[in-house]
Amino acid sequence: MGYRLSYPEADELFRKLSAEYEIYAPKLFEKQGRYSDTDIVRYDRVKRAEEIVWDRKSDFSAKEVVSPITQTIFYFTEDEYRESRTGAKKLLIFLRPCDINAFEHQDKIYLENGGIADVFYQRVRDRVRFVLMECTEGWDTCFCVSMGANRTNDYSAAVRRDENGLLFSVPDPELAPHFAGNREEPFEVRFIEQNDFTVEIPEIPNKDVLNKLKKHPMWQEFNDRCISCGSCTVACSTCTCFTTVDKIYDENAHAGERRRVAASCQVAGFDCMAGGHEFRTTAADRMRYRVLHKVHDYKARFGDFHMCVGCGRCSARCPKFISFPATINKMAAAIKEIVAAERQ
Amino acid sequence: MNQDINIKKLQKNCWRQSKVPGEFMLQMRVPGSMISAKHLERVQYICQTWGNGNFHVGMRHTLNVPGVKYEDIPAVNDYISEYLEEVECDMCDVDMETDAGYPTIGSRNIMACIGNTHCILANYNTQDLARKLEPLVFPSHYHIKMSLSGCPNDCGKGHFNDFGIVGISKMVYHYERCIGCGMCIDACKKHATGVLSFTEDKKIAKDTCCCVGCGECATVCPAGAWTRRPTKFFRVLVGGRTGKQSPRMGKTFLNWVTEDVLLTVIGNWQKFSAWVLDHQPVYMHGGHLIDMAGYDKFKEMMLEGVTLNPEATVAQRILWTETEYRAQINVIPLSEHPKAGPRK
Amino acid sequence: MNNPVMPKPHQILDIIRETNLEYTFRIETDMRPQHGQFFQLSLPRVGECPISVSNFGEGWMEFTIRSVGKVTDQLFSLQPGDELFVRGPYGKGWPIDELRGKHLVVVAGGTGVSPVRSLLNKCAAEPDFVKSVDLICGYKNEDCILFRPDLRRWAEKFRAIYTLDSQVCEGWETGLVTTHISKVPFDSFGDDYAVIIVGPPVMMHFCGLECKKLGIPDEKIWVSFERKMSCAVGKCGHCRIDETYVCLEGPVFNYTVAKDLLD
Repeated sequence: MGYRLSYPEADELFRKLSAEYEIYAPKLFEKQGRYSDTDIVRYDRVKRAEEIVWDRKSDFSAKEVVSPITQTIFYFTEDEYRESRTGAKKLLIFLRPCDINAFEHQDKIYLENGGIADVFYQRVRDRVRFVLMECTEGWDTCFCVSMGANRTNDYSAAVRRDENGLLFSVPDPELAPHFAGNREEPFEVRFIEQNDFTVEIPEIPNKDVLNKLKKHPMWQEFNDRCISCGSCTVACSTCTCFTTVDKIYDENAHAGERRRVAASCQVAGFDCMAGGHEFRTTAADRMRYRVLHKVHDYKARFGDFHMCVGCGRCSARCPKFISFPATINKMAAAIKEIVAAERQ
Repeated sequence: MNQDINIKKLQKNCWRQSKVPGEFMLQMRVPGSMISAKHLERVQYICQTWGNGNFHVGMRHTLNVPGVKYEDIPAVNDYISEYLEEVECDMCDVDMETDAGYPTIGSRNIMACIGNTHCILANYNTQDLARKLEPLVFPSHYHIKMSLSGCPNDCGKGHFNDFGIVGISKMVYHYERCIGCGMCIDACKKHATGVLSFTEDKKIAKDTCCCVGCGECATVCPAGAWTRRPTKFFRVLVGGRTGKQSPRMGKTFLNWVTEDVLLTVIGNWQKFSAWVLDHQPVYMHGGHLIDMAGYDKFKEMMLEGVTLNPEATVAQRILWTETEYRAQINVIPLSEHPKAGPRK
Repeated sequence: MNNPVMPKPHQILDIIRETNLEYTFRIETDMRPQHGQFFQLSLPRVGECPISVSNFGEGWMEFTIRSVGKVTDQLFSLQPGDELFVRGPYGKGWPIDELRGKHLVVVAGGTGVSPVRSLLNKCAAEPDFVKSVDLICGYKNEDCILFRPDLRRWAEKFRAIYTLDSQVCEGWETGLVTTHISKVPFDSFGDDYAVIIVGPPVMMHFCGLECKKLGIPDEKIWVSFERKMSCAVGKCGHCRIDETYVCLEGPVFNYTVAKDLLD
């Protein structure tokens, strides 16, 4: 059984919840888009249900709530490093199935990789509760179904928006009492079963094929097309890379703060070492590095799933119209070609 | 050839004399350089019915119909009534008679680049602004050349118009969203004035003084760390001109003015021209009027009744640099100096 | 909660100037890393950098740091008694058990000598640890020579070839380290040897090819990678190559793995 809430009722619920939860959702930032008089949708705190944007894909993903683009992790003096503080409230995040699945990958890296849990991620992640935004249509850049990321059970509540307001189901007993007393109405959450675009993720049978693929001419086209701006990785719901940067307060560099700032493997210098040596020096190298991570390397390390959840934000945000699924399809053709040549 | 034609009267009816005796060319205004494509059919009809079958794209974005016989002029004037009604009166809110062709010379059309309805670099909607400016300057016997550009690239060549209006943006830097990739630094250096640089902690510092407000930084930022303030700002160039005597590039008169300020300033042009020419309209470049009055008087009259927005700046003086076809073109007897204001 | 990226202060015991650009910092510590592991050092005005342990002993550890640009001025103005913030050790070091009792061949170039220095010292101090050591150690030129006292000591204990890339200098061979590998008496080792290659990426690449030419099986070769790193604990992503994180599975790799790790 679900609960039917009008917008005013939802606002009242949000008000009550705010004692215990900070509510985050995709929100419209008018005229803050890349081009003049365009808007942007990104995650931010919302106070009213109407602030939640339903009718377009958020330009940036929900990962920013847990691992912000800029995050102070330590304050330091001559004598010590002190951990930055974090909030105490729980975080209620409104997001779609692909985004929830993306958090599984964020968790893998931040909490599991190398058997080391990252304190700064965990201290926020532990307080997060998901509210699934029902998503049955998607957009033209979506390919979540191909990536198996169109469904999820990992949510505290699910919500549908229709002409009568919001319809919630609340499987999480921690959250359920807050909804009690509202009008009951049957609600079974549905998932998208077909995107406009379908991709088949090719298998890379062995290291030899992988390394031949890295050298395949298919990547060369991106030297002309990709400007290495990193829009794709900033928008990506699964990219986690960051660089630590120290901000120094005094002349003698004795006091300051250490920050994590989102980094992009697409931006030149991502792999540049102190001495100046760089391994991936072209846009093609960097594109290949990103694409293979999303649809090969990650799975090769962790097993079950590819990293990419098919949210399509990379394609949507790319200022040069490089389509990620189209690139995967080109890669599939290249692999076929390499494997066929090997058989001969 | 035995026609008795009042050339001057026709000129004021927007018909331009041809070297072919008895033929004239109609120049149809397109304020803001964009109109519904349906008008093209009408223009084609005029060209093929009364013109010589050719069509000329006017140097100031007018639609030119060459080769109309003198005796056909009334028919054409009658036919364009609908065009004038729709383009001038309905689209631009111009108050004028439309049943006998143009009420004055129309060739000094308000030109505009495509603006932000299409261009990724433009900072405002140039057509909207042109349509607001049209009733301030047309129809009038004090003619003014105005060109609107969406950004400081000034594709509309406002630098060679009486008034060049350039759209600029006040940028907002969202420090916490910056990933320190340096795309904005490179773009600013390559396309604009190079006012951006890295701080020690890999964020961006800006020399606000020399920022031209182009918005390149927002266009290339992968993270939405640079956004434009929603308020539209303009740089107003004045006194630019071509011509046989002393062509020159216009100079900045106003910087960072809002649309309200701009419209009030342009609204003052009629009064200024009338004063300079002592109410005897002469078809000459606005720059010559400024020369006759002197910049100080021009500034005083153009800013009459204007409340400048807090960001606005006004040129204290202007140092013109004409192309001197004759050496010391400006050294002439006192008696020949141009005079502004009352003649008696 | 124990924070794995929290730097801890360590007193600087000594600062040794190796070259114009390289200084060795000796800090006080109880930590006993594996040979070839690395630490994250917080360098004033530079930030955190992965630096391999270049030597350690009872109560102390050394890091050899190369000055890159102006930003390190602050670092090189540090004095003994000042503190350096350090966290680690990280990664997998040299495979001590694999090397034990074998003929050891070490090919090291430039700053690549650092990560193998403590291991060479161990070999020098414990004659029974390996059967023999062939050391080929190369620097660009005379000004770049690191660890001179160690070189002298090692020359007494090991078959050592010291070479400068292009400079002619007394007591030094001339030519890239690659050109000297064939001088190692591999024939006399039977199957009982291991090769360590460590240095700049290009040098390691060509040494790998040279070893292949000499018929040395991949599994006998060990290399140490240097990559950009921000966290050293598998989070920041900078050091990843395919499914491998250099900070976690490296920096030391067997060549069977390393040869396939194309960035």
